[in-house]
Amino acid sequence: MKENMKDPYNTKLQVDIGGLVLKNPVMTASGTFGYGEEYANFIDLNRLGALIVKGISLERRVGNPPHRIMETPCGMLNAIGLENVGVRSFLDEKLPFLKNFDVPVIVNIFGETVEEYRKLAQALSDVRGVDGLEVNISCPNVLKGGVEFGTDPDMANKVTRAVKSVTDLPVIVKLTPNVTDIAEIARSVEEGGADAVSLINTLKGMSIDIEGRVPHLKNITGGLSGPAIKPVALRMVWEVVKSVSIPVIGVGGIMDAADAVEFLIAGAKAVQIGTANFVNPHTTIDVLEGIDNYLIEHGIDDINDLIGTLKV
Amino acid sequence: MPHKTVRMSGKIIFNREIAKGHFLMSLNVSGHFSSAEASFRGVTPGQFVMLRAKGRDVPFLRRPMSIYSLYPSAGDLIIELLYRVAGKGTFVISRLKPDDEIDILGPLGRGFDIFPHCKRVVLVAGGIGIAPLSFLGHYYGADTVNKPPQIICYVGAQRADLLVGLDRMDEICSDIRISTDDGSRGYHGLVTELFEQDITLYNSSDSVVYSCGPFPMIKSLAEILRNQAVPCQVSVEERMACGVGACLGCAISVKSGYRKVCKDGPVFDIHELVWD
Repeated sequence: MKENMKDPYNTKLQVDIGGLVLKNPVMTASGTFGYGEEYANFIDLNRLGALIVKGISLERRVGNPPHRIMETPCGMLNAIGLENVGVRSFLDEKLPFLKNFDVPVIVNIFGETVEEYRKLAQALSDVRGVDGLEVNISCPNVLKGGVEFGTDPDMANKVTRAVKSVTDLPVIVKLTPNVTDIAEIARSVEEGGADAVSLINTLKGMSIDIEGRVPHLKNITGGLSGPAIKPVALRMVWEVVKSVSIPVIGVGGIMDAADAVEFLIAGAKAVQIGTANFVNPHTTIDVLEGIDNYLIEHGIDDINDLIGTLKV
Repeated sequence: MPHKTVRMSGKIIFNREIAKGHFLMSLNVSGHFSSAEASFRGVTPGQFVMLRAKGRDVPFLRRPMSIYSLYPSAGDLIIELLYRVAGKGTFVISRLKPDDEIDILGPLGRGFDIFPHCKRVVLVAGGIGIAPLSFLGHYYGADTVNKPPQIICYVGAQRADLLVGLDRMDEICSDIRISTDDGSRGYHGLVTELFEQDITLYNSSDSVVYSCGPFPMIKSLAEILRNQAVPCQVSVEERMACGVGACLGCAISVKSGYRKVCKDGPVFDIHELVWD
């Protein structure tokens, strides 16, 4: 599209996430949108701000034994265990489909060691169709790696540095809420060179079958997501926005545009839609259109004029 | 025939309790949603839909339900679901009234394989597991190209008053054999025991067995069929979030690893399942 023919709709919603310019701030959250193809029937993927795919590891992972999910009031618990096809199959079998769309693809990466994160970043850099990396140091459902990196500021810093040392792609680090002070972790990954942070991943929780007196999940514990965690996510986004100067992406229980606008007002430059995709596969587009309507109704010409405008 | 999964809106025609805790719901997907009828053309028995009551936050996730029957009516699509109240989610759905709107995703999953020249179809149903098997039996019965096969049905329930769906089975089956756990009707015992008594009647050259029911029943059937050559396909259940293969929540163990019940199933070859 020529510069002077820019669609005002696009201009108004455009945000910059650490050098990655998105046509709008609505992304999919990793692990809730498969590799994109699962939802291509329901929405036009081209309309998304960015698509974050299911977390990828170096080798294929089979994930945790069933049962893996349980509904909770206003949300769900999951213990999938990062089942994924592995980076090679992702590049060969999944990415070609996504190249058919005009949507930035951000690959969520997961390793059990710092070296694995580095290798993954290397394998995904300079690949046409990969526009950014989201570093998952926050999965509560795996024994090694995951949240053990995300709860230790030094380790979080080390992983970020390792990834940044081998890639020019924008690097987003996804943070866990299962810490005492999330702002401290955010500062440590900023110091490590992260271009942005996304938060929150799931909150660790559990659920018990009172008839059998056994956990509902085979993994015993799982990650809580959905609207139940939104107030926690919003509070943490607000805390982190005040603590770092890199962009913050808000994730956690966003079900509609009003939820998303709350995160933007709190200072998030973009939002990710997660569990809501399961409930309503059209949520991302509904949120996008709702944000646009909100801006029009409130006479705001540029979404960046809304971001971080919380009055306290 | 390939079909596309769509999200559509249905209106409840009726949602009535036909036995304690067992409901029959009829949904009208109006002509306004013209893509729905096209999508459901080519649906195979064993496929399912996921439901959510419009405007209600409970249950949070959609509920998967097997398609019990499906037919066009005056330009609309009618979907019938036979379900049991198993928890809070299905309880809320059971309270819905005529004209209440339902948000539907479907058709979903991989249904039963159809063997057009099969001479004998054996259905083994446990409780509400009769729902997809009834659809399957009618599907075979409606075969206008090939001579419809003989359909034999084994139906089990805890008690006589919990036997549901027999009226429709009567229309298509040459033989219905009933068991109840408490002996209040038919054979006193498990439906799998009843089936086992007849096992020698069925062989791989002319018969196929289909089953749906509680997990222990399927496991028991697998043991009975372990050394039998007769093919057997089963529809299994697992908790689901998305229904479209994205969340990976509905994993089930098969010999080659984990499979997604929503996308790779819910129908599997019984000999592929792993029982741990």
